Amino acid sequence: MTMGVQEIEDAGLILNFGYNGADSHPIVQRRIIRARQKGAKIICVDPRVIESARIADIHLQLKGGTNLALVNALCNVIYTEGLMDEKFIREKTTDFDEFVEVIKKYTPEDVSPICRISPEDIRKAARLYATTKPAMILYGMGVCQFGQAVDVVKTLADMALMTGNFGKPATGIGPVRGQNNVQGACDMGALPNNYPGYQSITDDAVREKFEKAWGVPLSNKVGLPLTHVPRRVLRPEDPSKQIHAYYIFGEDPAQTDPDINEVREALEKCDLVILQDIFMNRAGQYADVVLPSTSWGEHEGVYSCCDRGFQRFHKMIEPPEGVKVDWQIISEISTAMGYPMHYNNTQEIWDEMRRLCPSFAGATYEKLEATGGVQWPCRSEDMSDKGTVYLHKGKFSNPDGKGRFYATDWRPPQELTDTEYPLILNTGREVGHYSARTMTGNCRLLRSLEDEPGWVQINPEDCLEYGLEHGDLVRLESRRGWCLSRVSCTDRTSPGAVFMTYQWWIGACNMLTNPNLDPVSNTPEYKYCSVRIECIEDQAWAENYVVTEYRRLRESMGIDVSGEEAAVQ
Amino acid sequence: MAKQLGAFVVGDSDKCTGCKACELACFTVHNQKSNGVGRTVGTVSVPVMPRLFLVKGETFSVPVQCKHCEDAPCLNACTKKAISRVDNQVIIDEKKCMGCKDCMMACPFGVIMLAQVYDRGKVLRQTTGEAVKGAFKCDLCAGREAGPACVEVCPHQALRYVDPVEERKEKMRRAAETLAITKTL
Repeated sequence: MTMGVQEIEDAGLILNFGYNGADSHPIVQRRIIRARQKGAKIICVDPRVIESARIADIHLQLKGGTNLALVNALCNVIYTEGLMDEKFIREKTTDFDEFVEVIKKYTPEDVSPICRISPEDIRKAARLYATTKPAMILYGMGVCQFGQAVDVVKTLADMALMTGNFGKPATGIGPVRGQNNVQGACDMGALPNNYPGYQSITDDAVREKFEKAWGVPLSNKVGLPLTHVPRRVLRPEDPSKQIHAYYIFGEDPAQTDPDINEVREALEKCDLVILQDIFMNRAGQYADVVLPSTSWGEHEGVYSCCDRGFQRFHKMIEPPEGVKVDWQIISEISTAMGYPMHYNNTQEIWDEMRRLCPSFAGATYEKLEATGGVQWPCRSEDMSDKGTVYLHKGKFSNPDGKGRFYATDWRPPQELTDTEYPLILNTGREVGHYSARTMTGNCRLLRSLEDEPGWVQINPEDCLEYGLEHGDLVRLESRRGWCLSRVSCTDRTSPGAVFMTYQWWIGACNMLTNPNLDPVSNTPEYKYCSVRIECIEDQAWAENYVVTEYRRLRESMGIDVSGEEAAVQ
Repeated sequence: MAKQLGAFVVGDSDKCTGCKACELACFTVHNQKSNGVGRTVGTVSVPVMPRLFLVKGETFSVPVQCKHCEDAPCLNACTKKAISRVDNQVIIDEKKCMGCKDCMMACPFGVIMLAQVYDRGKVLRQTTGEAVKGAFKCDLCAGREAGPACVEVCPHQALRYVDPVEERKEKMRRAAETLAITKTL
């Protein structure tokens, strides 16, 4: 995020684009509600009526998969009505003319039938965004989980650039990240193309620095993104580059990756699968070795928040005997594989990392403890350097210090609906369960509120057409697989579009999703594929299937299911 | 001093995000003694049965709960005299309830539910072996010093405890104060 989470409360306007804070991040949503109460305007862009849509001044309920067409049209209105910050564009940016060439074509009238939003609403939203200061954009997976995702992010940045909404308090654009410490994983270089601190693997000077620090030669080739793994196991273009072993940390690709039939096939084909996690999960069922590790209460360290904020956290309880901390497991594996690695505590690791990453260098443990948290960049260890609340003050990070406009044409999602598969499937989260449910699925309280097989949200018009009642079990099918789910009859989703959450084992929507990737980020198109619904005549059979299959899966993970009938409604 | 009118808890749909923290807090408070629910989820062995209920529609998201009506239809409907007025609050004695559903039918807000009764983690059973079902509704966390737990836990301050008499007094005081300042006739 270019802004700090705390700044959300001070925004004059929040453009909430493809981001459902109430279900994904209830604590961030609190800031949005406070902003609203302080008088902020809210524009919500979402194909469903999410909680933010209810309190929004304008809700643009667009058809799924039309993000870029809409953003281009918003930019078009801001340009044609002369609502830009021309001084900012002139002094702080480049490539504006090329950008205008593209967005000129996207008039509200042309885009209206694509997005199914009236030209008046597009104009109203664009005017409100351009004329309210300070305006910030918050976006989430509704932008990122499409085959055309990075283009939308860049064009949202264009909107902020053309209205001068960068480099000032409570402005900018904010990807509110999917997981609590996914920012930390990226900051620490758990990416195929970067060392810690976003230092490029292909930069020779950077590589030499890390080679010197670690005393080993390092590759200058960009690695493989997670979403390419199944293909490189099952159908490698070059057989010599086939993947044979898969080491999985704190992740459940057999539940959360798209087209999980293919992922599970790949896990079966791997010669060696290692799972390092705090609980058993679906991927663990394919593992040859399971390395149990400690959970957040059993170790200490640093989390990175989505707004680049480092926060120290502390150990509260002793882990069970024989369970080790992640960094100890990694050190021991590394040592066993011939690279001796030894640290006495997390501070040694953190200090080594700071020495190698200029933009994190000033975030000492001492400073984190004293201030409660530091947002990077923080370059000096001096206590007066308190980090950076918002980015791009005065200049941008490009070599010429200017923000670059970028524009391109909208393209539709890969798999469109047809007579065979007439419904759009959109997927996401719900508030009670976190991510893959590896943790919350073991929480009796949360399981008691929502449990298998989960819900598929269907518009009442579609329910009427299919003869479905709220609570019926149905079979959903796509070209890749099928699953069972329970009908939630709700007008929060549009006719022709259904919505499911991705954490259920029986109601696993990733049996259906399409592994089409964005060409730059390699993020899959979770938010759009075509499906059909098959009604189930024998509801009693289906209910029984859910119960027995769920029990079988839990037993196969070594969970003691005896005597817990009372906890399941 | 006894309350003149029954108090109640009311939700604000503009602040509520549907997180259900209120439902969990309600369940916890009402199962501490009877079912040993403590501070951690490991102590939960019975289904989560809150006494306020989050309701979501296209334009709203807010929990609903008992209004503690002054001429309470549920109280009037109960032939077993299981519902009574205690300190001006409408309270169900679950032990007296026979599950006739009259109160459920009478309640215009639908906030009384009939569900299995659990005691010490087990379903209470009749002599026939059938589960005992009783009526439940909001009792404003009777006996809890800090007041209703739902109000306390809501992360968005979307729930409010309303004492209508006190609230009216406060509004009148503010109106008078405004008059004194503006001298509007």
